[in-house]
Order: sequence, then C-alpha cells, then structure tokens
Amino acid sequence: MDWLTIGGGYLGGGQNLIVFINESLWPPDWGVIEPQAYPVCTAYPPFDFTCSTAWIGMTETIKIAFISTVFGTLVSLPISILASRNLNPIFITFPSRFILAACRSLPSIIWAIFFVILVGFGPLSGILAMTIYTVGYLGKLQYESIEGMSNIPLESADSMGLSKIEKAIGVVIPEQANNLISQTIFMFEYNVRHGTVIGIVGAGGIGYYINLYLKFLQYDKVLAYLIIIYSVVIIIDFISIYARSFFNDEGDINPPKWISVLIPQWIFDSR
Amino acid sequence: MDFTVVDIDELTIGYSKKNPLVEIPRLEISSGEIIAITGPSGVGKTTLIRTISGLVRPLKGKVSLFGKPFGVRPKRGSLGYIPQRLGLVRHASVLHNVKLGARAGNSNPYSIFPNSKIRDLCLDSIRRMGLSEKIYEPVRRLSGGQQRRVAIARTMAQSPKIILADEFLSELDEKTLEMVKTEVVEFVRKESSTLIVVEHDVSRAKSIADRMLVIDDGRVNPFISQTTALEVKK
Repeated sequence: MDWLTIGGGYLGGGQNLIVFINESLWPPDWGVIEPQAYPVCTAYPPFDFTCSTAWIGMTETIKIAFISTVFGTLVSLPISILASRNLNPIFITFPSRFILAACRSLPSIIWAIFFVILVGFGPLSGILAMTIYTVGYLGKLQYESIEGMSNIPLESADSMGLSKIEKAIGVVIPEQANNLISQTIFMFEYNVRHGTVIGIVGAGGIGYYINLYLKFLQYDKVLAYLIIIYSVVIIIDFISIYARSFFNDEGDINPPKWISVLIPQWIFDSR
Repeated sequence: MDFTVVDIDELTIGYSKKNPLVEIPRLEISSGEIIAITGPSGVGKTTLIRTISGLVRPLKGKVSLFGKPFGVRPKRGSLGYIPQRLGLVRHASVLHNVKLGARAGNSNPYSIFPNSKIRDLCLDSIRRMGLSEKIYEPVRRLSGGQQRRVAIARTMAQSPKIILADEFLSELDEKTLEMVKTEVVEFVRKESSTLIVVEHDVSRAKSIADRMLVIDDGRVNPFISQTTALEVKK
C-alpha cells in the first residue's frame, strides 16, 4: 500500500486520512438501527429497532455463534479427552490430535468459503464453518488444560480401578469445569467476533450488511455496525466474567452481583 | 482365614537406579493386618506405598498383590489409596467424591443409572466420618481436616481389600482423630481388609498398627546411598 498517498505525502501530514474520516467515516450513520422500509415492521416503537438491519444481522450472528459453540463443544470435548496424554496412550492421542489439528489448520473464513460453495449462502454454511473451527480450536485449549491438571486425583482413580469413562466423567470434567466453561465462553465471544468476518463471504450474520455497505462505499454505516459489534463483544465479556465467577474459588468468598454484568465488580469491592 | 495379600521379595525402590531409596529383603502382609510404615521424612515411605499400589515401578525385586506380579492390575475396587494430598475432585461435592469410591467397589464400570445401594453406602460412610451436614458442599470449601475425612469416607465406601493410606491422620484435632481412628480400625476389622499406613508420628502409628515397618534413615552417612527397611514387632 502506498502510505504516502494516504498520508498526503511527507508534507501533507495525513490530509487524505483526515478528509476520509471527516467526509466518509464520521459521524457514524445510525440509520442502521432504524426499521427497514421493507419488509414492513410490525413492532411498535420503541421496539421497532428490532426490524433494523443491525438488530437482524447481530442477532443472526449471535445465533450462529451460539449454535456453533454448542455443537463445537459437544464434539470437541470427547476428542480432547482422547487427545490428552495423561489419560490415554499415544496411539489414541496422536490420531485425536491429528483430527483437531486438521480442523484448526484452516481459518474459519476459509471453512466458510468452502461451505458456501457446498451448501450455498446463508447461516447454515456459517454454522458448519464455525463448528468445525470451534472443534479444532476449543479442542486444543481443552486438552492443554486437561493435561495441566493435577495428577493426584487421576492416580487415586487409577488405584481404585475406575474405568477411563468414569475417570473422564467423574474426575476430569468436574475438576477442570472452571477452565472448560471459561474456554467455552471465550469461544462463544470469539465466534461472535468471527461471525462478522464470515458474513462477508456470504455465510450469514451482520457481516453480510457490512459487506453490502462497503461495496456502496457507505463507510459511516459500516462504522455504526462496527461500534455495535464492539458493544456486543464488551457485554459478552462482562457476562463471561460473571458466569465464570460461579466456578472459581473467588466466587465462594465474594459472590458476584448481577449488576457486575454492566459495571465491573471491583467498583463495588473498592468501596 | 488369613492369606498373604502383599508379598515383597528383595525389593529396591526409588526413582533412579543410581540413587535407590529403600531396600526391603522380605515382607509378607496378610489380610486383616494393620501395618504402619514409619521413618523420617524423605526416606521413601510414600514411594514404598506408591510402589505397592502400582504407581511407581520397582527398581529391582518383586512386589505382588493378591499373588499377581507388578503391572497386573488387581480386581476393580480391591485397592484403595488415600494419597497425602488426598486426590479429591475439588470442584465437586462431598457426595460426588464418595460416590467415585462406592462405584469402584460396588458396581460395574458401565452402569449409568442411579443406584440406591451405592447412595446408601455413600451416605453411611459420610455419616461415619461426621460430615452428614456437608453432603452437597463442594470439597474446595471444606477445611483440610474435613477434606481428609472425605478421602477416608471415599475409601470406606469402596470397601477395598487393601487400603494404602499416606499420613491419613494428619490435620485432625484430638477428638476427631480419635473418632476417625476408631471408625477406620473398626471398619478394617469388620471387612478384614489390610491397612497399610504411612505415619511419621511413631506414637500415633503404634496406637493403630499390629506391626510396624521402620525405615531407617541412611542419610547420616552421605556415602550410604541405600537405606534398609527393618521389620520391628510392636
């Protein structure tokens, strides 16, 4: 890229960039949260924003992310248990790791392109793409955390003669529940962020609208979408902090309040 | 009828051949016996019971459980192990932890339906350890002594033929210690299990053991790398 052109040359001092921000990007066009002209909106104010492209796109992205996180977790957990070296011999861990690495080796956008070709445009290809990527990525995080767990509960389970399935369900999953839940929530947040990217290739969600307005060079609308995505990610982050606090030791001493979803807990604690 | 459950012959244990910890010429432990292994810390007491339980490979010699050589797993649920650091599932409830032991001793590995017999067994051993009030409490919220009692309850619910317990009476107050000791000894006598205890406190070890295995420390002379296990009658 020619940075000199963007910056307006050495002497220009970023003139072109300033012009771009002033004339095309700022202020963001909040028309994206107004109801669309067609189809006719059946909701009454103040709930008519639910007919806006931002709302429709964002909810679709969240739905895609949620479903693919659930499916991805269900598939990745058994594979990651098989892939853990402290639970299984190498001839089981190696093929399981191979499967996870295969799912992870392509980024979700490439999987999305692949599934758009295979099943067509729309959220289904987004769900399939993100589920496969979730299996690879989350599986890796899960087996790393299972391998990091203390060996002593596993040794006493071994001495007792518990089977591998009993060990996995009775010892490994409850002992690592905190990590597994936090990784799943992290994956959901990651999928929401990536849901916007895969929408650009036609796999549904808010990315579809971003792509649309990018093509029409309406950057102020694109900026409004980005701000909405950013806010949603922040809210998910707070919800994840709140949810995780039930599964760690700190939650026992200092149970979180609902308000901490919106305002960080430490503000209350510091009083 | 008493029969040999643990048979040790010319056993050398440790983590490296260059630096073996303990050498035991000959030791037979019969069913229904209570054996206490004592000695100063770092001498290899824990390594010895880890070797008996099959977790550490012996450097030399023979150790067999129920007549089966090292490496052959004993029958499911026939061996109970209370490690020094307990090995509990910290984020799960007391009942969940005890149920793991009860399942190992009393059900097949593929049973998935709730079993009232197992539940009763769990509740009984939790009651005997005085934790009836804490059944659904996560183990991480309990005190050190209470966690120790959960580990003992887990092993009691399992009712194994051999119990290997590493410092299982530490972190308990006088009153609880007496209660736990009485319950465990009574349990062992009733089930004719064998209890092998690692205990650094000699008087405490004497109070429960039929026989004591004193591992003498060889560290007085740095050139003596091996230590010798002496069998001492009480």
